[in-house]
Amino acid sequence: MSVALDHEPKRASINFAKSAGWVTGVAAIAVAFLAPYIWMVASSFKSQFEVFSALNPLNWRAFVPVDGSWANYAQLFENGKVATGLINSFLVACIQVGGALVLCTTTAYALSRIVFPGRRIVFGIILATFMLPTEAIVVPVYRVISGLGLQDTLIGIALPWLASAFGLLLVLPAFEEIPRELDEAARIDGAGHFRIFWNVILPNVKTALATLTLIIFLFSWNSFLWPLVVTSSPDKIVVQVAVAQSVSPGELPNWGLTFAGATAATIPLIVLFLFLQKYFVQGLATSGMK
Amino acid sequence: MAHLAEPRAAGVRGQLRTPARRRAILAATAFLAPFMIILVGLQYFPLGVLVRDSFYRFSLFNPEKARFVGFKNYQKVFSDPDTLQSLFVSVLFIVGFLILVLPIGFVLAVFLNQARRGRSLARVFVFLPVVTSQVVVATLWTFMLSRDGLANAVLGTVNTGPISFLSDSRYALPTLVVVTVWQQVGLCTIIFLGGLQAIPRELVEAASLDGASAARRMWSITVPLLARTTGVTTIVMTVFSLQAFAPAYIMTGGAPDGTTNLIVYHMYKTAFLIKDPGFASAISAVVLIVALAISLSQSRILRPKWSY
Repeated sequence: MSVALDHEPKRASINFAKSAGWVTGVAAIAVAFLAPYIWMVASSFKSQFEVFSALNPLNWRAFVPVDGSWANYAQLFENGKVATGLINSFLVACIQVGGALVLCTTTAYALSRIVFPGRRIVFGIILATFMLPTEAIVVPVYRVISGLGLQDTLIGIALPWLASAFGLLLVLPAFEEIPRELDEAARIDGAGHFRIFWNVILPNVKTALATLTLIIFLFSWNSFLWPLVVTSSPDKIVVQVAVAQSVSPGELPNWGLTFAGATAATIPLIVLFLFLQKYFVQGLATSGMK
Repeated sequence: MAHLAEPRAAGVRGQLRTPARRRAILAATAFLAPFMIILVGLQYFPLGVLVRDSFYRFSLFNPEKARFVGFKNYQKVFSDPDTLQSLFVSVLFIVGFLILVLPIGFVLAVFLNQARRGRSLARVFVFLPVVTSQVVVATLWTFMLSRDGLANAVLGTVNTGPISFLSDSRYALPTLVVVTVWQQVGLCTIIFLGGLQAIPRELVEAASLDGASAARRMWSITVPLLARTTGVTTIVMTVFSLQAFAPAYIMTGGAPDGTTNLIVYHMYKTAFLIKDPGFASAISAVVLIVALAISLSQSRILRPKWSY
């Protein structure tokens, strides 16, 4: 009996301890993952002197843009490589997204809707490139791209990665889920493959296409090694290379200005991510599950 | 990996009449050609170029003047002290990364799998660095960890430091590992969360009714059922860390004394700064073979799941 009586306060205290643990854990996560971003964004509105005076000794001003100004951003867009980089990165990402949308959907259609000899072989050839580490083949890809005369062009940045096995695997399940009766009916009505592809299949895989668009945009926007290798002139620079160059070793870089560049390179993606989280997580989790 | 469903649209295979078959081949060619041309031309063909180049000595300015050197470039991969050090550093980097990222990702996933207020927000926080570019992460942390950066300012409040995280050879590589963990742990967490959510709730509840403690449930149900997820995560994370480039390029330049000279960065320098693409190709080939071996081990781990 007495056991049952003192059970209640005990459970309450366990619940309290659990809640306290939860709150502490979430707070720790927030500090560990958000504080660096907050410091970066706050500092991007400050002069070099203000950035350092908030750190020595450390005070709350480090995380708040007190007396902030847009001076760094103004400088960035007046003469900066970052401004050129933002435009180029956007163009490259558009080429890459557009290309991937066309190539992955037509290929997924052929593999899921047309019976032809060698289907399995074609699928195998594509699948084999899935785990190919892109960073390890930049040297020969550079040789091929420069052989085509496409080095130092925006097309050259995007082209090698258009035929993406990852993109195909991302959309293929959606194509296979569509009931065959749908295209069967269209075929009886006299529709050819292209009509079926355009009018029957594509309208039914919109979610998969949205995921593909976001993930390819993310990969393209964030890619660094390949654009660094294949471009050389300042008007072809992409935003990641521009940010990397502003951290030039040797001299003391302008922290506020560099942070403004890094912020400008990151905000578009974070905004996209916050609004379209579901698709991002689905897509990237597939990249894990393969 | 994914298996291909049979599109039984036009009847049983092999029974197609010739005109229909010809039409199918024609349509398939039209739909597949763009993808396959780019895939073969810009992924398979370069692989051939890579193998060929690795047996030659030449410069990128004048690739026609190449000299055949047999296996010399490969011999050099395993005898050149800088390259050997780079391979060793990369192994340390990968092992250190895995040792940290897997347990932390797992603990975060278990923690964030609780049905409590604020969990989706906390998941967003953990995932932010995954959608941030490696360049921005490396830049941000270079400043955070510099002698007069945020990390040393925090240490200053408890009267320690300053520590030269990036220029002291004792700290530089561990620092790169920690920064890479910070960036990638969100992906690891999301994959583990997917695995956790696939565990049947009844199983856990039944064990709970039988009087199994939380620790017991974790050890006897959750951990074994996540074995496959853990295998997948390990391989994905290994291949990711094998390709790490931006941390070395931006944060340290391979310094101090080559202790952070990650293999892809070493390959980049060899090809485009030292301008010895033949040797760089041999290094690439070695990286590729390692990555391939890892992916093949993945297909072995995953096979039981596919054969349903």
